[in-house]
Amino acid sequence: MKIVINEQNRRNFVSQVESMLHDKLSKCYQCGKCSAGCPVNFEMDYTPNQIIKMTELGMEHTVLNSKTIWLCVSCNTCSTRCPKGFEVAEIMDVLREIAEKRGINSKVEKEIRMFHEVFLNNVKSNGRIFELELVGKYKLKTRHLFRDVFLAPKMIEKGKLKMHGEKISDLNRIAKIFKDFE
Amino acid sequence: MKLAYYPGCSLKGTSFEYEVSLLKILEVLNIEIKEIPDWNCCGASAAHSINHNLSVALPARNLAIAENGGYESILAPCAACSNRLKTASYELKTDDILKDKVVNSLGMPYAAGIDINNMLEFLSGVVGEDKIKSMVKKPLNGLKVASYYGCLLVRPPKIMQFDDPENPVLMDDLVALTGADPVDYSYKTECCGAINSLSNPDVVTTLTGNILYDIKKHGADLIVVACPLCHSNLDVRQREIERKYGEKIGLPILFVTELLGLSFGIDPKDLAIDGHMVAADKVLKKIKEL
Ligand code: SF4
Ligand code: SF4
Repeated sequence: MKIVINEQNRRNFVSQVESMLHDKLSKCYQCGKCSAGCPVNFEMDYTPNQIIKMTELGMEHTVLNSKTIWLCVSCNTCSTRCPKGFEVAEIMDVLREIAEKRGINSKVEKEIRMFHEVFLNNVKSNGRIFELELVGKYKLKTRHLFRDVFLAPKMIEKGKLKMHGEKISDLNRIAKIFKDFE
Repeated sequence: MKLAYYPGCSLKGTSFEYEVSLLKILEVLNIEIKEIPDWNCCGASAAHSINHNLSVALPARNLAIAENGGYESILAPCAACSNRLKTASYELKTDDILKDKVVNSLGMPYAAGIDINNMLEFLSGVVGEDKIKSMVKKPLNGLKVASYYGCLLVRPPKIMQFDDPENPVLMDDLVALTGADPVDYSYKTECCGAINSLSNPDVVTTLTGNILYDIKKHGADLIVVACPLCHSNLDVRQREIERKYGEKIGLPILFVTELLGLSFGIDPKDLAIDGHMVAADKVLKKIKEL
């Protein structure tokens, strides 16, 4: 694989990431401890330390389209254990946010991204999560209509699935918060 | 001390057992909490996954309502909510530019002073071990209980400031107060995959399976948790995991409030223990015969 990177683009990308991260990529000395303890490393296409290095090298297309950034479960094991105190978990948040803002429609792990979007839409319209509606909308969007439905009857029997959601009173404020920060 | 209560969405839905048992034990302990009026969702992992500023602004509204209501501290029983509230509070303390924007958007003042407690901090710090011990009417002697902490209570340690992040013992100490034996095992703070529970169930059943089988191997009668997301994965997905690996687990998952309630002699029905997917009948029978 031949990758040509324009130095100016590399610098721009690195500085965008670093300013959102409030941390320096050069802090990482590639010991791999973050990746060793990552609970989902077996599913990732690049390990967390590879993501850090590739970001530093300006390989933005590769990192923003990686499975890794979406598979990361934000468990923070990596940041907690990093001997350099580098914000590894946070770089995953930053890269996801950049990918999302740029509207990168990566084909990998798109269902995970969709779940976050449907979740936030639910917060936006109710102020709180209405689980049944959230799951329903997510299923429609991903067309995974039958995944997990085997759980539903017993959950309803146990009283776990409420049929009505709650809306908060000050939905205008929630709309304003979304408008200001979305 | 005026205590504000932030239930969060899970406690009003799939994890209603957590709220029922919490309110019941607080009634017995004679401790008053007040639900934050018109609270909103903290944004959970979705917000911080794709929009950092929103992940601070959404919880901030709850912090500000509680602070302006004259409360000194907030109890957030859900580990994910307490994690998001604490993180937002930390960001607002350390990032003045963001704080100004957030305060502006909220349309109300916020001094960033209010304290946030997760359930374990609340039980051991606010209620106190002595008071809990004095309420134990039905010691759970001989019951083997594994405490599962997961990620959100302990990490990141810089912000959570909670116990030892690699080997926490706060919940085990609470278990010991009930007379039960805390079980030692390796996966106390390993992740169950919570945030991708619905969007990546296959990875989640692998991670959760590792935890459940390790606890099983160490001879526990049951598991206690202080997080609705952990509870959902360990309880709701347990049958699926048994099918995936072809090996029975059969471990009831109780909220820490339910275990305390049982040791206080409260009827299991009043603690909503029958609301779990994995039946706790065997364990309840064992407790009855103690
Ligand atoms: S643990 Fe820290 S220093 Fe080591 S590779 Fe990961 S981020 Fe870099
Ligand atoms: S936060 Fe993400 S990258 Fe870090 S250890 Fe957890 S899953 Fe892996």
